[in-house]
Amino acid sequence: MKSYDLLVLANRNLWRRKGRTILTVLGVIIGTTAIVVMLSLGIGLVESQKKQMEQWGSLNMIRVHQAYSYPGEPEENKQRKLTDEAIEEIKAIEGVLAVSPAYEVGGEAKLGRKTGYLQLIGIDAATMELMDFNVEHGRILNENDQFNVVAGCRVIDNFHDPKQQPGREMEWEQGDPLELLDKRVAVTLMNQRQQKRIYSLNVVGILSDKSMEYAWSVFAPIKEIKKMRDFTMQGMGGNHPVPPGKEVGLPQLPRDMPGQEDDQYSFALVRTQDVSYAKYISQELRDRGFNASSMADNLEGIENVARQMQAVLGGIGAITLLVAAIGITNTMVMSIYERTREIAIMKVVGASFADIRTLFLAESSLIGLMGGMLGIGLSYFLSYLLNKYVGAMMFSRMDPENMFQISLIPPWLVLFALVFSMGIGLIAGLYPANRAIKLDPIDAMRNS
Amino acid sequence: MPILELRNVVKKYRVGKEIVTALDGVNLAVEAGEFVAILGTSGSGKTTLLNVAAGLEKPTRGEVVFRNVTLNKLKEWQKVAFRRKQMGFIFQSYNLIPSLTAQENVALPLIFDNVPVQERTKRAVAVLTHMGLKDRRKHKPTEMSGGQQQRVAIARAIVHQPRIIFADELTGNLDSHTTHDIMCSLQTTVKKLGQTLLMVTHDRDVANYADRIIFMVDGKIVSEELGGK
Repeated sequence: MKSYDLLVLANRNLWRRKGRTILTVLGVIIGTTAIVVMLSLGIGLVESQKKQMEQWGSLNMIRVHQAYSYPGEPEENKQRKLTDEAIEEIKAIEGVLAVSPAYEVGGEAKLGRKTGYLQLIGIDAATMELMDFNVEHGRILNENDQFNVVAGCRVIDNFHDPKQQPGREMEWEQGDPLELLDKRVAVTLMNQRQQKRIYSLNVVGILSDKSMEYAWSVFAPIKEIKKMRDFTMQGMGGNHPVPPGKEVGLPQLPRDMPGQEDDQYSFALVRTQDVSYAKYISQELRDRGFNASSMADNLEGIENVARQMQAVLGGIGAITLLVAAIGITNTMVMSIYERTREIAIMKVVGASFADIRTLFLAESSLIGLMGGMLGIGLSYFLSYLLNKYVGAMMFSRMDPENMFQISLIPPWLVLFALVFSMGIGLIAGLYPANRAIKLDPIDAMRNS
Repeated sequence: MPILELRNVVKKYRVGKEIVTALDGVNLAVEAGEFVAILGTSGSGKTTLLNVAAGLEKPTRGEVVFRNVTLNKLKEWQKVAFRRKQMGFIFQSYNLIPSLTAQENVALPLIFDNVPVQERTKRAVAVLTHMGLKDRRKHKPTEMSGGQQQRVAIARAIVHQPRIIFADELTGNLDSHTTHDIMCSLQTTVKKLGQTLLMVTHDRDVANYADRIIFMVDGKIVSEELGGK
């Protein structure tokens, strides 16, 4: 029998009992919808977690911190220092797109009447774009910028007016990041000899609020910051220098505090090709003795939890579809009882076992496929409602542009649902089809 | 050389605890192009004879040879292939598929033989036209009279140009006038196409359309004579 004839016959047979077929298909629709919506919730969860994490730092970024040495620590446990050689070594790892070493200093800052504390980070300006620095206003840095900086979008919140009512200071208030643009900020640094130096910095750009990792810092080309850092390190003696950026106003550190060497960078930013590389390289760096961490490190845990959740949710959906499958089997068995005579006739006029079997399998698969297609349609509708009402409730404080979808139906899920529902139909049809081919044409003809 | 030969065929059924002998050593040879009627009362074993001859049932003992092939030794799928290519069947209760139109019912054996749609339709319409049902070809069986349904069934039995046609009480549900019409057209058709027809009936008048009439009693062939019409 040709497949076209098979489909036409199967389709026509199904619609001889419209009510029964519709009810059976309805079962599959509910089963498919249950599976798709349940899985879409799990997928939406993972995706929203990823997005949320990305706001706190890109998933393909790794941060390598400077080594801290503890007195008396055995040599083999010591972390590797972030030296120029180390930077070159990291650059050479496969999957690393760019590495920028960074220095960090901090000091009291003045913006007009307002005062505050600024954290200054010096990085390789050429790598800024790769490192996900997005400038929303103004411009990005170039290597030759002197006393020009870009500021994170929340840096403005560090400043407050000392003359304001004390009560108001406590209120957490978001300032307008644009207030900083093209303004001069005076930063006061102090070294260990209590000498003061004041730098006047010009804010040429404001970073976007896409990556919150950079929101509270001010960035400048690394050689600028290195000069400032060298100044703050003056007067530090002994083998236990103080971490840069923490010096201001601090008394001399006690001797037994963990310290760091002054011949290394404060930290380094590593940009990898993608998330999977980030996970792997982050581990590789730790194996090599670097103090590395990445947002991607947490991803596996989240994905594991999500996978378990998906298994539970999908399982609930699968049970529903199993019930639907039993419905298909039942319908097909009934149909065979009704069509005993017809099956016998087909056998007598030359239908082979394979013809009969494929006809019944085609009918049950069609029920599955129809249910699957309509179920996917219904799933999209439910998913839309979930996102619109439940999702809006859960993430009501977020702006609609960044709103997370609690239910997400990727294309592979659609394909999976179609194949799965059709497969369920096929399997559900096996038993009835085998019953049909076992019917004896003679017996069938006699029961008239 | 007979086209179909039954050699010492015995068929026994188990009915509850009893064993019933439906065919008791039947020997029969049917020549190609011959029209043979098997006449007997109900319970004489004539329908069993037809089923065994067509390979629908296995004989308990003996051989059924169709065109030099021993049917009862074939596998089921081989018998299916034989039926599809070389045999046609006509039944008392027409046995048309209710969901299909007359034309689709006639074309059904061709579907299983993988004949393309256009070819199928052409042949089905031709045979229906021959049976005088051209304008009823789009009707479902329930929209036709008994005589018309049986004509559709005959058309289905001959559409794939089988070597042999088996007919079981094909006029059992028809009135005498329709019976005459149907038998005349069946007779002329098989003669024209040179097909062999093995027909089972309990009606002496109907049996008379055959070339040869075989009388059965209690599972045995008791006598035979030439047909009259």
